[in-house]
Amino acid sequence: MVNQVERISHVYRRLGFGAQPDLVTATATTDEAIARALDLSTSPQAAPAIEPPADFDASRDRNQTQTVIAYWLDQLATSPRRIEERLVWFWHDHFATDIRKVKIAYLMHQQHLTIRRHATGSFAELLQAMSIDPAMLIYLDGAQNQSGARNENYGREVMELFTLGRGNYTEEDVVAASRSFTGWIVLRPGGRAEQVIDGDPWSAQFVRWRHDTGDKTLLGRSGPLDTPAAIEVLLEQKQTARFVGGKLFNDLVGWWPDEPTTDRIAAAFRADYQIMDLVSAIVAEPAFLSDDAILAKVRSPLEKAVGLVQAIGSDGRAWRGLGETLRTMAYVPFVPPNVAGFPKGNRLLDPHRLIHTFDFSSIIPPDLPEYSPTEVMNRLGIFEISPATRRVLAGVAGAGRMVLAVNSPEYHLV
Amino acid sequence: MTDTPFPLSRCSSVTRRRFLSTLGAGVAVASAGAYGVSVWGRNPDGTGIPAVGTPTTTTTRVPIPAGAIGTPAAGNRTLIVIEMGGGNDSLNMVVPHADSRYYELRSALAIAEPIDLDGDVGLHPALPFVADRYQAGQVAVVEGVGYPNPDLSHFASMATWWSGARDASVGTGWLGRFLDGTVGTADPLAGVTIGPGPTPALLGDTSFQVSVQDMTGLSPRIPQWIDTREELLGLWQGFAPADFDGAAALNPVRHAIEATASAQATLNDLLGAPDVSDPVVTARRQRSDLERSIEVAAALATSPVAPRVIYLHGWGDFDTHEGQSDRHAAMMSQLNAAFEQLFAALESAGVAERVVVMTTSEFGRRTASNGSGTDHGTAGSHFVLGSAVTGGRYGEPSSLNNLDARGNLVHTVDYRSLYASILDGWMEAPAEALLDGTFETLPLFT
Repeated sequence: MVNQVERISHVYRRLGFGAQPDLVTATATTDEAIARALDLSTSPQAAPAIEPPADFDASRDRNQTQTVIAYWLDQLATSPRRIEERLVWFWHDHFATDIRKVKIAYLMHQQHLTIRRHATGSFAELLQAMSIDPAMLIYLDGAQNQSGARNENYGREVMELFTLGRGNYTEEDVVAASRSFTGWIVLRPGGRAEQVIDGDPWSAQFVRWRHDTGDKTLLGRSGPLDTPAAIEVLLEQKQTARFVGGKLFNDLVGWWPDEPTTDRIAAAFRADYQIMDLVSAIVAEPAFLSDDAILAKVRSPLEKAVGLVQAIGSDGRAWRGLGETLRTMAYVPFVPPNVAGFPKGNRLLDPHRLIHTFDFSSIIPPDLPEYSPTEVMNRLGIFEISPATRRVLAGVAGAGRMVLAVNSPEYHLV
Repeated sequence: MTDTPFPLSRCSSVTRRRFLSTLGAGVAVASAGAYGVSVWGRNPDGTGIPAVGTPTTTTTRVPIPAGAIGTPAAGNRTLIVIEMGGGNDSLNMVVPHADSRYYELRSALAIAEPIDLDGDVGLHPALPFVADRYQAGQVAVVEGVGYPNPDLSHFASMATWWSGARDASVGTGWLGRFLDGTVGTADPLAGVTIGPGPTPALLGDTSFQVSVQDMTGLSPRIPQWIDTREELLGLWQGFAPADFDGAAALNPVRHAIEATASAQATLNDLLGAPDVSDPVVTARRQRSDLERSIEVAAALATSPVAPRVIYLHGWGDFDTHEGQSDRHAAMMSQLNAAFEQLFAALESAGVAERVVVMTTSEFGRRTASNGSGTDHGTAGSHFVLGSAVTGGRYGEPSSLNNLDARGNLVHTVDYRSLYASILDGWMEAPAEALLDGTFETLPLFT
């Protein structure tokens, strides 16, 4: 049996983005931990205001990118709305969008705020919003998709990655979905469309003449489908709740659910696509608190960074030192390696990432208190410590002990 | 006190066993050889390691059983990829100097005096070594390489080239799938990236890449003020004690630490591992410089490590929208020097016959100059160099008179044909399975 404090820490690690050590020790039971992790009663912190850039040149402002990422990293480490942070990251990974293609930090921030708004709300609303989100329209080429010049990028990925999973639709469905999605553009300041369309700069706009008004047949449903109607068809599919529900189960528990479990959580989710209903259904599964689930996942570089910031005390300056390490590990928010999102699991235990986990030590402050081997692991939210790890940590004092703790087998898992 | 970190009862359930076995830790795995450590073993069905926490339905379109491809003979062969980031203007690299249309389109940017190869095309004047090797029959020039429905975005186009699959959402790279099917996790130095970080081209499901920036190898960056800095890596290996218990939840990580420490030691022995706390070394590693990358590639390719794939990326600023004449010429000169430096090392080590080098780039550039530069384009030419290469021109140059709606070249050779030719002809791997389709192969090797 895993000890109780470790199990409480597990709850915070999975339902939030790290186990702040003082919070763990102030929590008496796993029920209390779950309640605190799922608590959304505190007000969210205000996001920084990013002005819409005046034109495309002004949009490539590196300071804006840094502001936006710094805000997010700070939220990950400090927000008391823990489940929101877990889900905002989950949905960013799910709807992976890359600033290297989108280029406009303002639009990435807008997408982030859209995700934040819906992260703990309705998946149906989130999916509808993402389908006409300007950054997404650029990233998956929806803004190029028009009647007579179809672009199938979003039409394919929305089914493969966002709703149904591979193998649950045909090529004809990809065509039908793509035709339904035609007509959207992003209103670029200074662009030609701005002269004829009234709208906020950088907003998504539906341009009627670019839309394919003909009948389509998508997954057996026929009609003159447009974007909202086609997304409705995807949401009607039982497979959508199973795929998305299974993926979140995997994120929170550590493995893909078996069929009966998938049925249970998908039923709870499909009722009205409330994301917190799905979370509650997953947390209610015995698997969530089981010994099997504890440390069953490989900790991502971002989780390592957040955990270390929580261990040494959050400080806005700390993130600057972490940025380079996250880049080294190819794990920077807004920069997923491909449309399938960030790497997970064993591939995070590669030699490159293991060695460069040491690089996180650049943010350890020289005035770090002298912690015992147990204390240093506890600061990192780990309360069950192997004898080998204790032995190694006892062999070095000072900051080196924290460096080794961050590189311990325990800390590589979550 | 026992060495078993957790009571064995923690491992009793099916789920725990499944997790452990996917990481191979259900079986005690002994280390074997300096870097050929069998890290995490295999599933009973031989499929290697599914990525824990990753939906296999969206990441494993092309499951390649580990060990299913590759022979001992092929195992000695190395492919070095030089990625020219930003979109290389290959019209000014392989110049169609016999076509007057080229000079009309390029006007001031046209290469007036290329090094003629065969009366029809010539190489940029900064490429004399490549031209010499071409005449010696060791350079394949593959022309008209691109992909259908080209996307002019750097990132989208790179994602296509990296993935080598019908659709980039496969999540793995073409060379990552090659490693999945050959060495899996058994050899952490089989795929080495030289550049600012891992490349998606080498992203596999059941294999990994080691990523180094320069001759500092696989070295952590630990601040100098930490006075125990020098001891930490040595102490770190204590997390993977030789006698650890095969049942503990932490053992997969301990295996990974053991293999990594071993790979790290091998690399640093090989590369000489300068002190990373030296500010000069630290400053130098911030840059991405082809010469420094080639130094590492040559050291690896001529060593017993002989990685299967060495991937150089992060070099070059080929996005020459302006100031192209000088910028592109400088990079051509660097490329020429890199080939010269590399082949000198390979030949003096007597291993030139088992190394092939190829270039990639996400796209070529617009046929018409925009004044001082060129905008994003589509198809381009690429080099494949090596003494095993059957030199000559391959593919079909894209016509300068039959451009697409945006004034770009229409590709004549699918980039996966280039990959298939390399995989099939050099790597002796099943191109069709790795590329998710059948593509014509060019007879680049005899």
